[in-house]
Amino acid sequence: MSAHFTAGTRITPLRTGIRFVSAVIGPDLRGGSVDASLQRANSGWIAVLCLTIATALFLVVAGHAAGRRGYDVAPLFFWSGVVLLVVPTSLRIAWPTTARAERLFLLFLLAESLFYCKVVYSPTSFIGHDELLHWIAAEDLISARRLFLSNPLLPIGPTYPALEILTTAIVNLTGLPLFVAGTLLLAVLRGTFIGALFLFFESITGSPRISAIACLAYMGCSTFFLFDSMFSYESLGIVLCVLTFAVEAASKDLVGRPRLKSLGLIALLLASLAVTHHLSAAFAAIYFGSLAALEAWRRHDPLRIKTSTAVGLAAILAIALPSLWVQARGIPLAAYLGPVIESGFDALLRKILGPAQRLEHLGVPDVALYMRLTTLLALLLVALGLATGFFRSLAMAAPSGARSGWRPIQDILKRRWHDSRIILLTLLAFGFPVSVAFRLTSAGWQIGNRMGTFVFIGVGLVVAVSVVHFWEGRTPRGLRRVAPAVALTVIVLGGVMSSSLNPIHGRYRVAADQESIEPMGIETARWTKEWLGAGNRFTTDRTNRLLLAGYGRQDVRVGVVQGIDPARIFEAETFGPDEFWALAGSDIDFLLIDLRLTTAPPVLGFYFQPWERQKGPLSGAALLKFNDVKGVTRIYDNGWIVIYDVRGLHGNS
Amino acid sequence: MGIPSKRDLLAACLWAAATVAAVAVSDSVFLRTLLGAPMVFLVSGHSILRAIGVRTTSVLQHLTYAVGASFAAAIAGGFALNATGSLTPLGWAVWYCVVTAAAALVAAIRRDTPDLPAWPALVPLRLWQGAAVMLAMLVATGAYALAVRDEAVHREFKYTEFWLLPSASGESSRITVGIRSAETQPQRFDLEITLDGQPFAVFRSVAVAPGDTWTREIPVPALATRQMAEARLYRPEDNRLYRRVSTLVPRI
Repeated sequence: MSAHFTAGTRITPLRTGIRFVSAVIGPDLRGGSVDASLQRANSGWIAVLCLTIATALFLVVAGHAAGRRGYDVAPLFFWSGVVLLVVPTSLRIAWPTTARAERLFLLFLLAESLFYCKVVYSPTSFIGHDELLHWIAAEDLISARRLFLSNPLLPIGPTYPALEILTTAIVNLTGLPLFVAGTLLLAVLRGTFIGALFLFFESITGSPRISAIACLAYMGCSTFFLFDSMFSYESLGIVLCVLTFAVEAASKDLVGRPRLKSLGLIALLLASLAVTHHLSAAFAAIYFGSLAALEAWRRHDPLRIKTSTAVGLAAILAIALPSLWVQARGIPLAAYLGPVIESGFDALLRKILGPAQRLEHLGVPDVALYMRLTTLLALLLVALGLATGFFRSLAMAAPSGARSGWRPIQDILKRRWHDSRIILLTLLAFGFPVSVAFRLTSAGWQIGNRMGTFVFIGVGLVVAVSVVHFWEGRTPRGLRRVAPAVALTVIVLGGVMSSSLNPIHGRYRVAADQESIEPMGIETARWTKEWLGAGNRFTTDRTNRLLLAGYGRQDVRVGVVQGIDPARIFEAETFGPDEFWALAGSDIDFLLIDLRLTTAPPVLGFYFQPWERQKGPLSGAALLKFNDVKGVTRIYDNGWIVIYDVRGLHGNS
Repeated sequence: MGIPSKRDLLAACLWAAATVAAVAVSDSVFLRTLLGAPMVFLVSGHSILRAIGVRTTSVLQHLTYAVGASFAAAIAGGFALNATGSLTPLGWAVWYCVVTAAAALVAAIRRDTPDLPAWPALVPLRLWQGAAVMLAMLVATGAYALAVRDEAVHREFKYTEFWLLPSASGESSRITVGIRSAETQPQRFDLEITLDGQPFAVFRSVAVAPGDTWTREIPVPALATRQMAEARLYRPEDNRLYRRVSTLVPRI
């Protein structure tokens, strides 16, 4: 509590309450110089933590192995490994007296270890839905040696080919297999991301301790563990994005030629970002545009014009380069992102304003209770961090003379601050509750998930400021020393637990993306390449589509003919005239049906396309109705998967 | 204090030249990875950073920026090589060599190239600490190897693939029948083939071991009309129909 809270006499309960709230959420920066005096990294701690992490990784591998066999002990192995990995490392990183170099080393160690946990889920091949899409594109690039080849499963992908370019550059130079090259690239991206994020926070706060804690809090983002570690364009996009922020923030005090040189590097990175990932490029444009606006808006700074000009130039580049790329390639970005954004906002508004819609809950998958509780606790802790760190974070940007009471906030309201980046990131943290709200709807989940990647940069800063300047305070001892570190550990664990439905490799599940991919489906796809040749026109369910395109090198179709989805052909109980004319009028050569789809409802809520809503499990009779159709032959059967040759329907055979 | 020397630029050029040589003459993945991976992730970006003249204040900052600049060089290279039709191993090696050498030249010529940041003092490790770190690396690597082995060994579904296709060689007078086993035990099957519903061929007690493939090309009469060929697989122990596949025999 601040001193003035206890000093007053005749304090009314209302005033006491106000002063209490003010002391808790107010802008009082009591962490002093926040960083311990210069000291060396403790090699003893590093050695012990390395050994602890190795043990943890072994447990994680054991958890996956047990999960594959359906043993009940799998979660115990896996989660004890994750806890052993996260808890001691996070505690040491957040400890008030840890040296900068040690914090940095442990941050890299933690980030790469979490990446290791993601990779051992499938240690020899990419398995995520988006990963397979980009793997197919990279395979195409290696075999055809040309960019911009069409990808029917991700039509916008070929216009953002940077990830595939980088991966195939490694493959070409080293001769490594594509999976190894991609994994190596992702490991480097993880390290670069943490390095850039740390440098960014350090440039704007001047404190390695706050920066390390902010990086740790960022790991609580639901996309950090899995989504941004996938072989997918956003994994490269977010790294380039944060790198541009770090370079710009490091050059904030430079003027003249040195600033121009930094701008040159920023231009190079922004140009790369423009051809890497649409959303990351859009976020960089929003960040630099907002920064330029804040710089133009603020006052009382002698360097204002030069600083504003440099930030303005960066903003122009950040907005112009992606726009030029979209124009030059004729990318239908609005058509691609528009429906997702529209349905997301629509679902959110319905959730807020109207009664709950039954459809909204059809696709909500089941998650273990302990995972829900940990995620909920992590959310509450982040919310607490935001509440106690928001004004303190703003106060950090206030002129250095104004540090008492609410004076810093008054100064900021009068447009006086010394660093617009802190203001912007603090305001960005407001996106967190919005992203959580989106995640509560199935249509808006994608928006909330992707928002999280970016808003957590702000959340990380605010939570770190809260930990250092409020929860730990000037002389952290006892509970004040331990509790914030434990809270950060829970936040990181919450990020891991909310990253996917089930991060442990389990048995096959129906229509559950990576949980549906296993050797039998892969071998069937390989059979098509071996015995039918590549490039045949196939249609099937979502999972087998990926396998056929990736392992089978087949020309998979997401529609049978214009306006008719595969679901209509496969779900009908009988082969009626509609189905006949759709197939006969199409150029589809083969249908692949997977009878495992009849064993359970789809985990993600759909078998074929995300916009379809399933009423119940598919019936075997519906899938096998092609057996007795004249002109259709059943050329392959392995007991679960059947391939039908339908060329006889349109007279091609 | 920074490092004022520019010898790093010469080293970068030599590295790039060695990478070109390795890609041109060697198939050794180890050698090419040793030279090529640092080229993609660091060396080219380091030269670009020096050419632009960005001053970095710490090794972390320099490495992070260099990786970012390397990514930019690779992405630009992808477009340049695509335009010239040279997205080949040698094309990539030459691209990196040209970019690195050109950037190094610019950095060497310019007078205001900033010094490199000084390396931080290494943390002294005691014997037990070094041993612990080595052991940790060994455990993590071993765990990964176990994960790879486990993934290769474990199969949730045991199954037998059965297929019937028109001849792979395109001959209208042949069909191909095949069985592949992904079971845990050797299997024995009876196989019957019919043509337009009439018995045509029979194979008794076909033995297929786990992992093995059994195929036969069967000559069929070529007619002016399409015939329906059907193959049925039976398990001799219960003589029940196990699999059924079919194909159309193309007309002449």
